[in-house]
Amino acid sequence: MKTKTILKLLTLFMPLVALVSCGGVPEEKTETTKSDNVFSVAQVLEMVAKENDVTRTLYTKAIVGKGKKQGMKFDEDWRKDDVEAGPLPALFLRGVASSIRKNPVPLGLYLGSDFPINKANKFEGKQAELFKKIKHDQEPQFFFDEDQKLHTAMFADLASAGACVSCHNDHPQTSKSDWKLGDVMGATTWQYPKDSLSYKETVAVLNSYAKGTVDIYMEYLDEIKAFRKSDKPEIGDKWPAEGNYLPTAEVFLDSVKKLSSYETMKNLVAANK
Amino acid sequence: MFKVSPLRQRQFLGGIIGLVLGVVLFYVLTLEATESYVSVGPMNTGHEDLSCFACHADAKGNLLQQVQSNIAHAVGSRKESVDFGTQDVTLENCLQCHDRPNDRHPTHRFTEPRFKEAVSKVDATTCITCHAEHHEERVSITPVNYCMNCHQDLEVENDPLDISHKDLIAKEEWLTCIQCHDFHGNHKYEVAEHLKDTIPMETLQAYFDGGKDPYSDVKKYIALSQEEWIKTLNKKE
Repeated sequence: MKTKTILKLLTLFMPLVALVSCGGVPEEKTETTKSDNVFSVAQVLEMVAKENDVTRTLYTKAIVGKGKKQGMKFDEDWRKDDVEAGPLPALFLRGVASSIRKNPVPLGLYLGSDFPINKANKFEGKQAELFKKIKHDQEPQFFFDEDQKLHTAMFADLASAGACVSCHNDHPQTSKSDWKLGDVMGATTWQYPKDSLSYKETVAVLNSYAKGTVDIYMEYLDEIKAFRKSDKPEIGDKWPAEGNYLPTAEVFLDSVKKLSSYETMKNLVAANK
Repeated sequence: MFKVSPLRQRQFLGGIIGLVLGVVLFYVLTLEATESYVSVGPMNTGHEDLSCFACHADAKGNLLQQVQSNIAHAVGSRKESVDFGTQDVTLENCLQCHDRPNDRHPTHRFTEPRFKEAVSKVDATTCITCHAEHHEERVSITPVNYCMNCHQDLEVENDPLDISHKDLIAKEEWLTCIQCHDFHGNHKYEVAEHLKDTIPMETLQAYFDGGKDPYSDVKKYIALSQEEWIKTLNKKE
């Protein structure tokens, strides 16, 4: 072969060698192997929904319900500067959902109803269809959201405290005023992209929910600091049942853990054996 | 070693000049001082002082690695493709400075399945549907009647308006919503109770185009400046 031809071939070949020798951009290694996944997405969403039930009931009964008796106020416009109040339970959940979205765990959380205070929150489509079943038997419903490629679960949201019933029945915008204790007032909807989760991913989901709870509760405590006209409750280790007190975020979360941890731990330990 | 044929000297010289010019242009156009020449259009209101890197972060790896990875992806020997040059701008880029706890229409709410139909008409899951960048304005969506996609059933008990919300909706006066209510709910102001006191559409359009804020000069949360945003990144590291 002529030297010129060899040179030409080398000129073509060298850039290719240079290109391949870089090794490419390293691939992300976040994927877990199928064998690492010990929980189905349904199991995990049931676990976190259970934590949510306990948290919401505790907030509604022990903070909103008892707090109102101490003269504390809770309002849908609680974030406005001229409104000196705390978040209503539905807005507490929305705060948790917003916080979850800020961390890397791809978990979605929503609250809806067939008779919402804000009519824009009424279930439609697949959710409306499944909510009818939930109202009937209170059993969770699961489906795969084809559009977003997300595993979706819906869980009954019950009127678990007197405050739920009285506030919704008396609200000026209510579309239903005969709610009773124990009624299915709505449903939480949860979404996650994978069909099964590793132990680590499951704990991350549970932690992201717990962090969301602390974040929104801390925001409430921050709003209290800015109160000018209203009496500020003392923040420490006491609860509104004892007087004009509110627990710190740590005390609140500790109580949630005490109430919910047995069920969750049982599931986690069983999977880790 | 390389002997240029006298017949090809002009081509050779042209090639060398082209190569030098290319390198100089590549260098000059990647300088911060020349960003405006590379930009696809002037920045939107409030973003005038941002540098390109605030949204267009460098992609992972060097250019050769990126080329190699994408070729590998094209021939099926790699699962994912990679960004080339700069990373794609996503919702997260916007939220790093603009995320606010009081946002009454946060993007993440609209990923719920029940908004499927509404989102097919106006994609509220992303900022750029209403705020397309590089247009030297605030709001790019037209017409601003998007409230119709979710609030058709709205009724306000003891409606304070002289013409009720229900009547306005029945008459499909969807442009009037924005004449009283700012979409994200961050302004501090008294909402008008008479239609004649609401913000005229021309004033709002001027605001959307980058003019004075007619709702209020006072906002509860202010978006981060580039310096403040950089500080948040440093804290994370």
